[in-house]
Amino acid sequence: MRRFLLAVAFLAVMAGVARADGVIRMAMIVESTIDDKGWCQSMHDGITAAQKELPGRIEYSYSEKMKPVDAGSAVLQYVSQGYNVIIGHGAQYKNLMLEMAEEYPDVTFVFGTSAEIGPANVFTYMPESEETGYLSGVIAGMTTKSNIVGVVGPVDGGDAARYNRGYVLGAQAVNPGVKVIVAHSGSFGDFVKAGEVAETQIKAGADVLTGSSQQALGALRAVADHRDEPIWWVGQETAQLGIPEGYKCIGASEYNYAAVIVDLVKKLDAGVKGGECIALNFANGGFNFRFNDDLKAMWEGPIEQKISETLAKFRSTPGSIDWSKVDYSKL
Amino acid sequence: MDFAVNILALGVPFSVALLIASLGEMFNQRAGVFNLGCEGIMAMGAFLGFLAPFLVGRGGPTAEIWNYAGILMAMAAGALMGIFFGLAVVTFRAPQGIAGIGLQMFGVGVAGTFFRHFVGGTQSIPGIPAMPIPLLSKIPVLGPILFSHNPLVYVAFLLPPAAWYVLFKTPWGLRVRASGANPRAADSIGVKVNLVRFQALAVGGALAGLAGAYLSLCQAKMFSDEIIAGRGFIAVALVYFGHWRPLKITGGALLFSLAQALQLAIQGRGINFPYEFAVMLPYVLVIVVLAFSRENLLLGPTALGRPFNREIRT
Repeated sequence: MRRFLLAVAFLAVMAGVARADGVIRMAMIVESTIDDKGWCQSMHDGITAAQKELPGRIEYSYSEKMKPVDAGSAVLQYVSQGYNVIIGHGAQYKNLMLEMAEEYPDVTFVFGTSAEIGPANVFTYMPESEETGYLSGVIAGMTTKSNIVGVVGPVDGGDAARYNRGYVLGAQAVNPGVKVIVAHSGSFGDFVKAGEVAETQIKAGADVLTGSSQQALGALRAVADHRDEPIWWVGQETAQLGIPEGYKCIGASEYNYAAVIVDLVKKLDAGVKGGECIALNFANGGFNFRFNDDLKAMWEGPIEQKISETLAKFRSTPGSIDWSKVDYSKL
Repeated sequence: MDFAVNILALGVPFSVALLIASLGEMFNQRAGVFNLGCEGIMAMGAFLGFLAPFLVGRGGPTAEIWNYAGILMAMAAGALMGIFFGLAVVTFRAPQGIAGIGLQMFGVGVAGTFFRHFVGGTQSIPGIPAMPIPLLSKIPVLGPILFSHNPLVYVAFLLPPAAWYVLFKTPWGLRVRASGANPRAADSIGVKVNLVRFQALAVGGALAGLAGAYLSLCQAKMFSDEIIAGRGFIAVALVYFGHWRPLKITGGALLFSLAQALQLAIQGRGINFPYEFAVMLPYVLVIVVLAFSRENLLLGPTALGRPFNREIRT
């Protein structure tokens, strides 16, 4: 019993130890992998970019394939090794992060997507992805010839819900007569089902599709199978532009989590250990957008101009899209 | 009309992986072994089906050949995993349910680990393209539903009559059925029950491997750890749904997949209906049909799940 108490006390002391040299020891837990060309990769890329932006300030480790029930032991390992920022990249880690935050008040816990304001040692982050969705919708609405566009969603929640609704609003803003088909695969990682959703939408006449989370790759793959047909994709991850299926991708946005991480480090330096929600939007550099140079003929001119105008608006007035008013049953 | 044709045309290819895997599982169960590891074998099949064209064939002039090499590798690995499972449950008489769960975890885990080692992150392959059958694919309504798919779809729909013939019209099929129905009686007339069970597990494994390869080579044209996503377990349920008969299993796989295509179409129509219920629709359908099936039809082979030990009178 005494040994157990000593071990607990040791863990608690280690948890509270902050590096005197100003190095932040940051650990990330993800349910997929850091190279999934989607959700997890974007955070991993953001942290490594922040490491370059703040040389010598961030020491970084990660654990992949962590189901929420298994993630607790990984978090304890990191805490015991003296990591002072633990990121659970996904709303599924919310309960774990909140429980751990109560147990280890000197460690900062971070999770998202969530717009909630957590306890004093918990940061949340929320991509305002209605902005990226809106851009995708503008492109889709101006590109479609069939006047039908599609969205392959994972589940109707978190940033995916905002992205999808932003897409609807963007498409309708530039093409009031457009029909937007929205369907969900019910999974973040089932490529096969996402491909089935995309194929169903293509059969229903959709000629420009988009999708969010890592399952979207399956939908993009289904679009790419229509090689010689005018069926196109707008991406939520710029990595999709560089893959073999990228020839179907007119343009793509991406989450720049480096902005979140750099902001987080600044707050920690200022002595703020949590209790805030960090937003990602175009105004704070949390999003980037890029066209596909190989498809310049498709977007050069009115589409490019409209995207420039929209981006300028987003950068000057963040939070200008009322995504919550979109009702799919009225589409 | 177009709406119905689209659903039927989508439901047919969606059903293939389930159909092939559940026919394989039917052979296992007909011989008296139920293999919950089907999901794991499918995962290995999906990985190996993907690996050959990815590593060797990609971009080369022989890419098509490597697709088929991938299929053979997937089937061979599936058969080996079936035999490996037989070693546990037939030779060492381990509890079939637990061993099956172990095989499922093993297959998914090994496929994922090998994928990270040999491939790295998510990658795609050209896969096996659609092969519309000349003239037939142009027939109105029937053409897009039956004759506009990739070659494995056509092969898959030749399997149920072939499986029926093998199971009910060949001596080996009779031995399989006898081993699952009354292994002691089969043994008394010279049937090597455990050998037959190994053979059935190898056939079932090969078909599960083929089903996995279909997902990675024909449907997703990529691999991820989650590619099977529970389809192996659905295949096991479809065997019960189809009362261990190839043609009824085919009906079950088609019904499930048509329900899947229908729910996706319903979502796309913007009908005011929670999408979560739509996603559940195919699964609920299977449960409802199982719940209302006559009890005697759901009993299955009498010795299903029971190890055979000729030294012990049971």
